[in-house]
Amino acid sequence: MDLTPIWLTLKLAGITTLLLLVIALPVAGWLSKGRSVFKIIIEALITMPLVLPPSVLGFYLLLAFSPQHGAGKWLQQVFNIQFVFSFQGLVLASIIYSMPFMIGPIKSALQQLPISLSQASYMLGKTKRQTFLHVLLPNIKPSLLTAVVLTFAHTLGEFGVVLMIGGNIPNVTRVASIAVYDAVEQMDYSAANTYSFILFSITFVLVIGVFIFNKYKAKSPLE
Amino acid sequence: MNCKLLINALSARVFVFTITLFLLNIPVFAQNLKVAVAANLQSVIKVLGRDFKKKTGLDIEPIVGSSGNLATQVRNGAPFDLFLSADMSFPQTLFTEGFAAKAPVVYAFGCLIICSNQNIGLANWEKLLLTDKVKKIAIGNPAIAPYGKAAVEALQNKGILDNIKTKIVYGESISQVNTYITTGVAEVGFTTQSFIKDVANKTDLFYKIIDPKLYTPIEQGLVKLKHADANPDAEKFYQYILSQAAKSIFVEYGYHVQ
Repeated sequence: MDLTPIWLTLKLAGITTLLLLVIALPVAGWLSKGRSVFKIIIEALITMPLVLPPSVLGFYLLLAFSPQHGAGKWLQQVFNIQFVFSFQGLVLASIIYSMPFMIGPIKSALQQLPISLSQASYMLGKTKRQTFLHVLLPNIKPSLLTAVVLTFAHTLGEFGVVLMIGGNIPNVTRVASIAVYDAVEQMDYSAANTYSFILFSITFVLVIGVFIFNKYKAKSPLE
Repeated sequence: MNCKLLINALSARVFVFTITLFLLNIPVFAQNLKVAVAANLQSVIKVLGRDFKKKTGLDIEPIVGSSGNLATQVRNGAPFDLFLSADMSFPQTLFTEGFAAKAPVVYAFGCLIICSNQNIGLANWEKLLLTDKVKKIAIGNPAIAPYGKAAVEALQNKGILDNIKTKIVYGESISQVNTYITTGVAEVGFTTQSFIKDVANKTDLFYKIIDPKLYTPIEQGLVKLKHADANPDAEKFYQYILSQAAKSIFVEYGYHVQ
């Protein structure tokens, strides 16, 4: 039984989650404060992968990263990077695809914090960054965990985009969801079942974990 | 009060009307011939459908996908009347498993080409593939796409498969390979000759026919499925596909026939 698709999926989900966390913290912090037309547009763009068919994303990425024109050509010539049919490409696609799952929970948790919290911190002479990292973030731990786990789980479930821009290369882009699809097409139902069951179990444990953790943490002093 | 009554009466009417429409529609849907079609036939099936309509007045409803995927759908109860596969093994399996009344027959032989949207010298394709000019080579997944299997065989017989293995990307069907070629994400791809005919006016494509000696003939099989028992028109399309008229269309699209 070839388990590389499972490892590849876990690797993809892990890297995506880590990168997204780094990206999401400042973005969510910025979005949680105030309201402007520009912010609404940015937030809408970030939320769109939630409702947009993955094939739309796959189609545009395919065109954008074609090594024959535009951005794809530039990347190929200058950095010798090809995003289509590569692991980096999948990471990039997953970041876009899972972004709402990371930014959404963090942003709404930050918005629900009482304003007095940051005001008190500023009064005590802390900078904006110190306040964000040492006062605000520790107070939204359950939401952070939810965001991280959901992002990870959602990336495990990525299929449509990978099918379109992955190229099904063993050890590179052949992730578990694609391996399941392939096995079904080849009528290899036992392999399909193995991959599916592993994915099912991982996802189940993750989601249950979030539920348990959130219930336990529900009585935080701020609520 | 009156107004409310009127609305009630109206909505009752609308309801009855909808139900009637729904009931009326069921036999109408059942009349449509549902034909599962291998992805390599994507373009030729439109022409065949039009010709069949002209001759018999009947419409067909093609469902295009990779042969493996379509066979799986049939096995799980998809309501298809006929199955035009890209090989013989999928229809044969369906027949052995009792999803078809008659053994499959060959309706055409596929023709493998190497294709690109750039003029990069395909005449010497076996040397070209080894150069730096080609970074990605698109082929159908050999496990499920017969044209992919043929491509792997041809590469093997040329003795270059191992040297270019890292350049290969797999499409889940031949249509995905075609997408990779037309968008240029892969510099070259192995596909069916009928693809050229279809897109000739939209995109500039360069191609070379692969020597048929390099791969096992791509026998494409037709099978009438159990679902067709309820539909006498299925037999008409079955006969049509094996007729001279259909054969000349297949030839025009780069297939070989017996």
